[in-house]
Amino acid sequence: MMRFVFSLMIAVALSPNAAIAQDKPSKAKSWNLTGQVKARFDAKVVDMLCEVSGGAACADKCGGGTQQLGVVRKSDGRLFPVSKNGQPIFSGAMADLLPYCNKDVEVDGLLAGEGDIKIYQVQLIREQGTKKWNKTSGFTKAWRKQFPDAGKKGPWFRNDPRIAKQLAADGWLGLGKEADVAYAKDEVE
Amino acid sequence: MTRWLLTAIISLMALPGLTPVANAAAEAKRVTVTGEMIDTWCYYSGVMGGREAVVGSAHHTCALWCSAGGIPVGLLTESGDVYLVLKLEGKGTGSVDETLLSVQSDKLTADGLLYERDGLKYLVVEKIVANEGLVNKNHEDFGVVPGFAIPKKTLKELAK
Repeated sequence: MMRFVFSLMIAVALSPNAAIAQDKPSKAKSWNLTGQVKARFDAKVVDMLCEVSGGAACADKCGGGTQQLGVVRKSDGRLFPVSKNGQPIFSGAMADLLPYCNKDVEVDGLLAGEGDIKIYQVQLIREQGTKKWNKTSGFTKAWRKQFPDAGKKGPWFRNDPRIAKQLAADGWLGLGKEADVAYAKDEVE
Repeated sequence: MTRWLLTAIISLMALPGLTPVANAAAEAKRVTVTGEMIDTWCYYSGVMGGREAVVGSAHHTCALWCSAGGIPVGLLTESGDVYLVLKLEGKGTGSVDETLLSVQSDKLTADGLLYERDGLKYLVVEKIVANEGLVNKNHEDFGVVPGFAIPKKTLKELAK
């Protein structure tokens, strides 16, 4: 019996620490992601390079949007890359996180990834000590500010001049126009 | 009995959340990494399907969308390791420039600095020493992912 109890304790002790993701009840919406865990927790928004280099490679004010941002969970000091905001439009979370650079916040969202390797999608954020949650939907506004003359018909990724330039150069498959034509003929037939 | 109790207490102390995990910043290691430049969100999250379909030519257009959207990119090696790229030839990958977009889905060999933290590998690419271009032509197996990547109207025009 004692051996069984001891084995059980060891198994629990070795479980991935990402499992303890939810410090508080989450209001995050499911996206049916691989290894999805709803995760609301207290954190600090950080410049990831500054964080992983131990302060050796820090940009002032998170580089003003040039550096990838992450969150360090308060309860255990674990760093999560924040890969995605709450919009379903291929958008990162830079515009939503940058105002909180190096600040203590509360975030709500989803951890995703197989096993113990996890990235984070932030859906809601608020500075600690404040009540109002902010939805992480700042990408579109920031993109429009950057590209005021870009087309307005359809979603941003159909109008982004940088993407259009790459598609013109390398094609939709990245293999040149000939490959695109061959693929299109197969698809349309 | 005393020994059992001591062991149990030590085991409980190892519980995540009860003690700090080993997450202190590590020393940088100089490395050379060869791998495909991928969109890490689709790869890790599974939002677009299996991992083998969200790389290569099948996913090239989506990789452009995601990197232009500021989603972190990574180098996926043949052994399956992902190196999340924090800087590319002097520029933070939070800022999307022409170089970053031009290497999406390409097989690169990169020299740089590796940091590891909480099970993830982070890479500062100092120099791209080789670019073999897009070598994973997996659209032949999966089509394009997502299926709407190429608009229907464009497909019809290309097929004429």
